[in-house]
Amino acid sequence: MLKVENLVAGYGKVQVLHGISLEVEKGRLVTLIGSNGAGKTTTLRALSGMIKPQSGSIKLGGVEIAGQPSYRITRRGLAHSPENRRVFPTLPVRDNLLLGAFPRLTGARPKGDVKRDLDRMFQMFPRLAERRDQLAGTLSGGEQQMLAMARALMLDPEVLLLDEPSMGLAPRLVEDVFATVARLKEAKVTMLLVEQFAAAALAVADTAYVLENGVVSVSGPAEKLRDDPAVQAAYLGAAH
Amino acid sequence: MNILAQLIVSGVSVGMVYAVIAFGYQLTFATSKTLNFGQGEALALGALVGLTTINFLIGQAIGTFWAYLLMLPIVLVFGMAQGAVVEWLGVRQAIRMKSEAGWIMATIALGIIFKNLAENIWGRDPLKFPSPLPEQALQIGPVRVQPMEIAIVVGALALMLAVEIFNRTSIFGKAVVATAADRDAAGLMGVNTSLVITFSYALSSLSAAFAGVLVAPVTLTGASMGAVLGLKAFAVAIIGGLSSGIGAIVGGLILGIVETLTGFYISTGYKDVPGLVLLLLVLSLKPSGLFGKATIKKV
Repeated sequence: MLKVENLVAGYGKVQVLHGISLEVEKGRLVTLIGSNGAGKTTTLRALSGMIKPQSGSIKLGGVEIAGQPSYRITRRGLAHSPENRRVFPTLPVRDNLLLGAFPRLTGARPKGDVKRDLDRMFQMFPRLAERRDQLAGTLSGGEQQMLAMARALMLDPEVLLLDEPSMGLAPRLVEDVFATVARLKEAKVTMLLVEQFAAAALAVADTAYVLENGVVSVSGPAEKLRDDPAVQAAYLGAAH
Repeated sequence: MNILAQLIVSGVSVGMVYAVIAFGYQLTFATSKTLNFGQGEALALGALVGLTTINFLIGQAIGTFWAYLLMLPIVLVFGMAQGAVVEWLGVRQAIRMKSEAGWIMATIALGIIFKNLAENIWGRDPLKFPSPLPEQALQIGPVRVQPMEIAIVVGALALMLAVEIFNRTSIFGKAVVATAADRDAAGLMGVNTSLVITFSYALSSLSAAFAGVLVAPVTLTGASMGAVLGLKAFAVAIIGGLSSGIGAIVGGLILGIVETLTGFYISTGYKDVPGLVLLLLVLSLKPSGLFGKATIKKV
């Protein structure tokens, strides 16, 4: 569904990614782990068009999307729940969710049943249902994370990019986030998950890529990486 | 007491004209953090296009009132087109290059070009704009009000209300609000944020052109009619706060009323002083404006 080859990207003259290749198959959960500054967030930003890749190929459902502006990529069905959530603080929860479905409501993507999906999100995240008319800026960090994920899901996406959904959350809420990811996996949502909690990410993912200084150092089935002594030493030490 | 009430009523209608133009400044500032310093010229151009249109329609044996109503949509569409051109020629490149000041010079330059254009088409002399409403003042209680002054207040409020309703209820309006809140995140929602910025410029010039045909019947119409109005409305936008719709109205009313009071009680020669003093006071005491939220510039 999503195929990345030799992706090179960065900010201005600083190159962060030095040729990354990865693949996310339909209905699978792929995780991208690695230490701070390895290029995880940059990868997602390049995929969704928030930054322009310097070279390389990104194919979504067989169509080349590298270098397109993010609104075009979103209209092709790639949803990105970005780092720091980036909910719209001055809009109510409900409007944030509707904006997630913007391409569907404006004819750029098949409409489907937006109302039904909205109800589904409120069922999945009851806290959001309680706060549907509240401004998103007044939500707690955990609620904002739920909103960011629900907003991305409102696209009814082909692929969902999740950037560190656990960041800055209390341990109990981190558990909630991973439970949600597991439920989405059961529902066959195709996902690329970037995480710092490598152990938790490897426990839930099908496939994993380890990013080190802008290149993929190890990749393979998640359970295999869990048992890899090098990965354990580098990324799972603190978690075990 | 009667004179005071009379002055306040006159000040209100002047103030609402400032409010509409200031509202236009806010529209582009919200989405792009840039301003169209050619707002005054957009106003003059709107009024002049309106003048030609209304005269043509009156020539077709349509009464002045109906001619004015028929002229409005033409002027509004013209205003939108003019604003889109300003954004396209003067602002887009500056935003793309993250230029801090390029758009300032570009919008001023375009304003001057539009003004010269207007002078060459309509001449330098002020022209009389036919009034769609009776010019005889109405006696309401202790004060006398021109019907057109009431139309200015109603029209100004209607325009701002229409934009507010659009923003709150339609998905496109929500996309505008989202772009204003977080441009990158709005792009991730599938919103073409460059188009939203073009649209906000179009809407901003529409507001100016509308203000132009609202004031034209009570003043004189000409290429230079907008310069002072644009500047004062800019002061109003700063006084009220660039991010607050209600700030534009309150700021406009304060300036309009203070001006008419100064003109009467002190001297018409000092009419322009209080607004500028107010501007300096606000900038030194509450730089984000009376209703603005303080913003911290990230560096």
